[in-house]
This record gives sequence, structure tokens and C-alpha cells, in this order.
Amino acid sequence: MDKGRLAAELKKIFPAERVLTGDLERKMYSYDSSFMARFHSFVPDAVVLPQSTGEVSAVLRLASEQGIPVVPRGAGSGETCGCLATRGGIVLDLSSWDTIEEVDTANMQVFVRPGVVHYKLNEHLAGLGLFFPPDPGSTRMCTIGGMVANNSSGLRAVKYGATEQYVLGLEVVLPDGQVITTGGVNCRALKNVSGLNLTKLFVGSEGILGVITKVRLRVWPRPKARGIAMAVFNELDQAPAAVLDVYQSGILPSGIEILDSSAIRAINMYKPEINLPSAEAILIFEVDGNPAGVEWEGAQIAEIVGRRAVSVEWATNPERMADLWRGRSVVAIAAARLRADGSRIFAGEDISVPLNRVTESLRRIKELGREFGVTVVNYGHIGDGNIHTAPVINLESPAEVARANGLVDAIHRLAIELGGSTTGEHGVGAVRNQYTLEEHGEAAEIMKRIKQALDPGNIMNPGKLLAPEGEIESV
Amino acid sequence: MFEDLPGLKEHYLRCVRCGQCRSVCPVFEVVRNETATPRAKVFLAHMLASGELKPDAQMASLMSLCLLCQACTKECPSAIPVHKIVTATRSLLAREATSPLQRIIFKEIWTRPHLLNFSAGLFRGCQNLGLTGLGSSLGLLPPALSLPGPLPRRPARAFIQEITKAEGAPKMRVGYFLGCTTNFLFPAVAKSTVAVLARLGCEVVTPVDLRCCGLPQAENGQTDTAKSLADSNFAAFQRLGVEAVVTDCASCSAALQESSDLKGMEVLDLSNLLNDLLTGHNLQKVNKSITYHDPCHLAKAQGITAGPRELLDRTCTGFREMPGANNCCGGGGAFSFYHYDTSMNILNKKISSIKETGAEVVATCCPACTMQIRHGLIKQGLNIPVVHPVELLAQSLGLTFTT
Repeated sequence: MDKGRLAAELKKIFPAERVLTGDLERKMYSYDSSFMARFHSFVPDAVVLPQSTGEVSAVLRLASEQGIPVVPRGAGSGETCGCLATRGGIVLDLSSWDTIEEVDTANMQVFVRPGVVHYKLNEHLAGLGLFFPPDPGSTRMCTIGGMVANNSSGLRAVKYGATEQYVLGLEVVLPDGQVITTGGVNCRALKNVSGLNLTKLFVGSEGILGVITKVRLRVWPRPKARGIAMAVFNELDQAPAAVLDVYQSGILPSGIEILDSSAIRAINMYKPEINLPSAEAILIFEVDGNPAGVEWEGAQIAEIVGRRAVSVEWATNPERMADLWRGRSVVAIAAARLRADGSRIFAGEDISVPLNRVTESLRRIKELGREFGVTVVNYGHIGDGNIHTAPVINLESPAEVARANGLVDAIHRLAIELGGSTTGEHGVGAVRNQYTLEEHGEAAEIMKRIKQALDPGNIMNPGKLLAPEGEIESV
Repeated sequence: MFEDLPGLKEHYLRCVRCGQCRSVCPVFEVVRNETATPRAKVFLAHMLASGELKPDAQMASLMSLCLLCQACTKECPSAIPVHKIVTATRSLLAREATSPLQRIIFKEIWTRPHLLNFSAGLFRGCQNLGLTGLGSSLGLLPPALSLPGPLPRRPARAFIQEITKAEGAPKMRVGYFLGCTTNFLFPAVAKSTVAVLARLGCEVVTPVDLRCCGLPQAENGQTDTAKSLADSNFAAFQRLGVEAVVTDCASCSAALQESSDLKGMEVLDLSNLLNDLLTGHNLQKVNKSITYHDPCHLAKAQGITAGPRELLDRTCTGFREMPGANNCCGGGGAFSFYHYDTSMNILNKKISSIKETGAEVVATCCPACTMQIRHGLIKQGLNIPVVHPVELLAQSLGLTFTT
């Protein structure tokens, strides 16, 4: 279908102001936060901004009939090209459909449309003494729809897990326009094991099976207190060992972050006033819960970690907590400032490894950086083995870009070799699907069969998540 | 204000397009699609600078959809000065694809005090004859023309001498930068500023040959003109041997602040200066509940938020903080003229915040914000005056005058 006709058809479904077909308008939907999008121009044929399930259903019927790719998009804050029209087609910008439909406090759940921004949901819930625990770094912009589609998590996944643990049910529009509700049509129960768990199938499916138009989320009582401990280590190995000691003492912190020597150096260069001690590693523990419990756990952590660390500081005073957290909060920008012509790139940024291989991973990533001649800064969620590597390169140097691509591939392969995954929380999209077979073996074939059963025309976000076409057949 | 787009390369290259700017951009909040985001503008600027996109009217229109409020610049995790990138891009677009109307208004008229005076007189004449009202109601004139409200009969310049002597022994000599909006729309503010400074022991120097501060030109793509205005104003103060300057306009002070670095002229914040001068003074407080709106050019551009509140505390009995005091009012200079409906949608949020406080008076330190907020209050039928803190101080000091 040519673009003119497509625009006309879409305007039969949507009011004109919610159909974007201008050259520049479409171009502004050609990027997300990924490294790959810097070097490609994935411009969609049209962008629509749905405000109802009926509109989504109608546009999917049109797309199915015409064989047009459809790509759902939230805030476009992802790092994987997941929301980009890599094969053209229609982008559904769901971010303006942001109604919190109902907070059912009696049943500890909330019903939201896909565009609700994470922090806005939690701001709303805070007034009711509730919260939705997963906490991605992108809280200020990412949408609940995007979080569900990517099964996002964040700093506090150590204690609270990922989005999947909170999704009770979904309204999904299938590629042919059919609308289903998973988790029970009228269900408001918190437990439900009847039927195949289609909710879990759609969570993390990155838009390749259908469009999520409504989410039923479990919410939790909001913790009353919080405290932070910062520990400094002269030997890298001591940091993960200290984490294990804490777990073995029966304490589950809400978050445990690591800054390695590369991150510490970057932070001190960027903001000398933060003045982190020059060390091999810094761990930041966060504890939350009831005030007495937080104090007790904090004191325990300080004592246990103190056996391995050169120094530990525990704080519950908000200003001091903010001070201890400052290094972590500026690490992303600090990385980019390591060199005047440098930019931090999002690639190879999200591997996840077994807890007992974290030290080895950090060491080998540094070695790989040296081998490929690329500066890297490492930080991440050490509590669950999720390492964020920030390569810093000159984007205008083709040689550096090529070396960065080599490094990123090596980091992904390292994760698989160590018994981990290429992605802990950011997703696969179009940037990690070449590793699907290596990571999943024969299960990759089953993924493909599920995709074919639900989306025989392959219109939903084609080219994402699954092994690239042709690869499975060749096995 | 004066950077070229190529000079900002290290900044726009660093944008990782994370989208955090979506959480604070007042324009995006009402437009609700990606084309209105700050990161989209950085993206376009990058494409333009690298030659992947050519300047055209569509791009100019997208680039005009920014208030330059700097909320994104403050929020950006990569510390990218988005407002500078947008300003530089507008300048590049103006060079490549000049809009004749923009050039005439900002370069030819606004830079020449006599032409600006003449235009203001003409506008006031049309207002008096009912032509602007008729034109707006017939849809022949843009609705934004009603923003300035009825122009006072005489501009501030008509009342203010080049040198105003200090009352009593002079403590200091200070230059007063009389901005265009204050001059034509709010002469009472200018009179208050000069009178208050004189009362508190300042000799006030207001050069007769002052011209526009250059901000409207810089924001509308006329960077070179902005530079020559800055040079001319600096020379005017230098002629009278002034080393420190104050102004009652947040936008002028932001512009002067930026150019002063180049000129070695000190720009003092009016509220902070007045708070210093007031040490030890007993004031007769005005018995009104008051709330305060932070102008972007003061709070975000210069980090000044405490001084005006302290001054209001000294002069009024009941200060009430409004929710989102730091959020842009949607004025953004010419923005409200180019994008009136969007501007009004942003303004409505500000008016709701004001209403929530129940305050009897709104204060702010920017004549453009005053104009915008006053417009919004009148539209909603609210009888809440918008004043400059210096006007309240004048009242507390018992200074009275007519305009």
C-alpha cells in the first residue's frame, strides 16, 4: 500500500491529529536509545497515537489485511531498537494513552492503560500507601506498557523482582484485531492457576505477539523506611564475597549496586567534589521496610561487610543517603565525560551472569576493553548479577565504531559462556536476536512456532526478539 | 545565546536519546507526541548540522515549538544544553531560510528604539480605536495580539531620567537596564525599581540610549543582531562609568548575564540586591496573601529562587507557595504568538496552580510572565493582580507615584 493510501486509511480510524505522516514527523520516530539506531534510519511509513482498544483493533485488522508491519512504542527509551520500524510499517505510539483506570485498593491491584509513566503511577499510588515495586532507571519517562512488553526491572529487582511478578492480567489485541483478556476475563483474584499462563507469555514478548492495551497490576504496601550503606573495597573479589555474606546472614537488601574502578575514576573526574575513595570497587546497599527492621539490617550489613571492606558507612538520614547515592546517580553522565570527544553508547550494556561469576565478568570486560581499544565503565546491579557496561567512543570515528561493535559482540558471548544471558532487563529487540539460538537452543524453535500460531502474517514487530529468519531452519 | 550549531557538536553528539526530557518538557506535556520532545530537537539539530536534513519550513516550525524554558537542560542526565542547541539551530535556519516577517520585526524594528516607540504608539492607537479587538473577534488578527492588554499611555522612559539621585548619602551607583516589555507594558514596575533603589541609597543610572537586550533576537534566529545589541548596551553603560547593572526583567537579566561574561560587566540580581540593602529596615507589610511564579529565565537560567521569596516575605503578610511554581507559564517570548493554543494549554496548568493557593496576588519577576499570567487570569474571569515584588516593596516603603 503506498503511503498516501495508507494515510487515508488510517485517517478513517483515527482523527487526523493522531496520524503523523509528514517526512520529519516520521523521522522523529526513527530512534530509541540504542547504539544501532545511531547508524540506521528506521523511519516508519506512518505513526498513529491510539486512545482506545477499538482503534488498536481496527489498525491491526487493516495491517493484517494489507500485510503491513506494526510496531508498538511506549516512550522510546529502550536500548534495543525494539520500538523501531526496522522493516517500515506503522508505529503505534501508545504513550499518550495514559489513563490510570482504577486503583482497587481493597484488592491491592491497579488497572492502567499502556502509556502511564512509571513514576506517575507510583506518585499516584504513594498517596494511597501503595507502590508498584519494579524501578527501572528510566522511571521518569518509561511507560507501563513498555515495561510489561520488555519485562523490565531495575535497582530493586534483588528483593522485588521484575515486572512479570506483578502482572495479574492483560488486555491484548492480537494481530488479526481480536481482543483477549489474559489472567481471567473478570478476575480480580491475586492467585489464579487455571489455564495456560498467557499473561506470562505476553510479558516480555516485545510486541511480537500482539499489542498490550490494558494492564492489571498487583501493587504492594509502600515501605515506611529506607537506609543506605556504602562500602569501599581494595580488592574487587571482596565485593561479591561481601554480597554473598549478606545473603547468607539472612538479609535481603532491596538493592545492591556496584561501581568498579573504572566507574569510580569516571565519577571523580566528572565531579571531583563527590570525592569517592580511589578503590577497586564500591558497593551501595539499600535496605527498606519498617523503621526498626531497617535500622537492624543496616547495622548488620555494616558489621558483616566491614569484615571485608576498608570502610563502610550506614545512613538513614535523607541528606546523607543522597550523598552516598550521588556517585551512582551521576555514573552514566560521568562515563560520557571520560574523554572530550566521547559519547557513551548503549550496546552490550545489560549482560546478566551467575552471582559467582560477577568478578570474573568485570575483569574480563575490562580485558576485552583493552583488547578492542575501547574505554569501558562498569557498574550495575551486582545483587542479581546484572552488569551495565558503558563503552565510551568517538561516534564519528568509523574505526572506533567498528571496534565497539566487536567489543559488544565479545561481551555478549562472554555472558553466554559464563552461563548468563545477553540481557538481564533491557531486552533483545533487533540488537541481540543473533544470540537467540546460542542462548535457547531448541527452545528457540518453539518460540518461533508460538509466533507463527499467533501471528501467521508476521506483521507484529517483525525482525525482533526471535532468531533471525533462516537461522532456525539451517540448524 | 551566541553559540553556533557546529560549536555545540560535542553536546548534541552526546545525546543518547534516553527520553528523560519527556518527563519535564511543558510543550511535550500538552502536544503528547515525539515531535515535540527536546530530544527530537537535538536529533534534528544533529541531522541538520551533519547535512542529512536540509533546512525547510517544516523544520523551522518544529524548532519553533520550544519555550526555551531550560527544564530539559536541567533534567538531562547527560547535561546537554538543549536550549542552546535549539537557539543555535534557529539561527542557522534563519540564515538558510529567512522568514521576512521575523527579520523585519526582530532585526529592523525591535533594534531601533524610535521605531519600536512608533510601533507601540501605532498599536496603542489601534487598540484605542477598537481595531485590534475587532480584528481578533473577526479572526483576522492572531488571538495572541490580545496578550499585551491595553498599552499604558506613556512608556516608562518618559518618566525616568538618565541619572536618578540617591536619597540621602549614596551607598552605591548602579546601572538600571530598562527592558522593552517593562518600558512599554509595565512602566509602574520601572518607576518602582528606580524609586526603591534611590530610596535605599543607590544612584540609578539608566542610559538614554539603551536598546533591546538581544534575547528576542537570539531566540528568533538573529544571533548577529543580538551580539550588536549587547555591544551597544555595554557601551552605553560604559559611557556613564557603570560597572554593576540590575534589571527588573528576568529575561533581560539572563541575556545580560550571558553577555556580561564577555564584557566584564557585573549583573546583580535585583531581589538579592534589595534584600541586602533592606538589612535593618523595618517595613510596613502589605496585608495580602501572595504566591510567586518562578520565571524560567531567573530560576532555571540563573538558579535564582530564594531571593524573590525572601523579598516577598519582607513585604507581605501571607506567602503561599504554589504547586509547580518553577513550571513554565507557556509564554516563552514569541512562542505564545506562534503557538497560541499550545501556549494557553500550558498556561491553564499555571492558572490552576495559582487558584489552588487561594492567594489574592501573584508576584513574578518577569514582565513577559506577568503578561501571560495576567492574560490567563482574565480569561478565566479571575480578579487576581499580577505584580512585580519591587512594586510591593515600593508600597511597603510608602512610595507612591502615578503613571
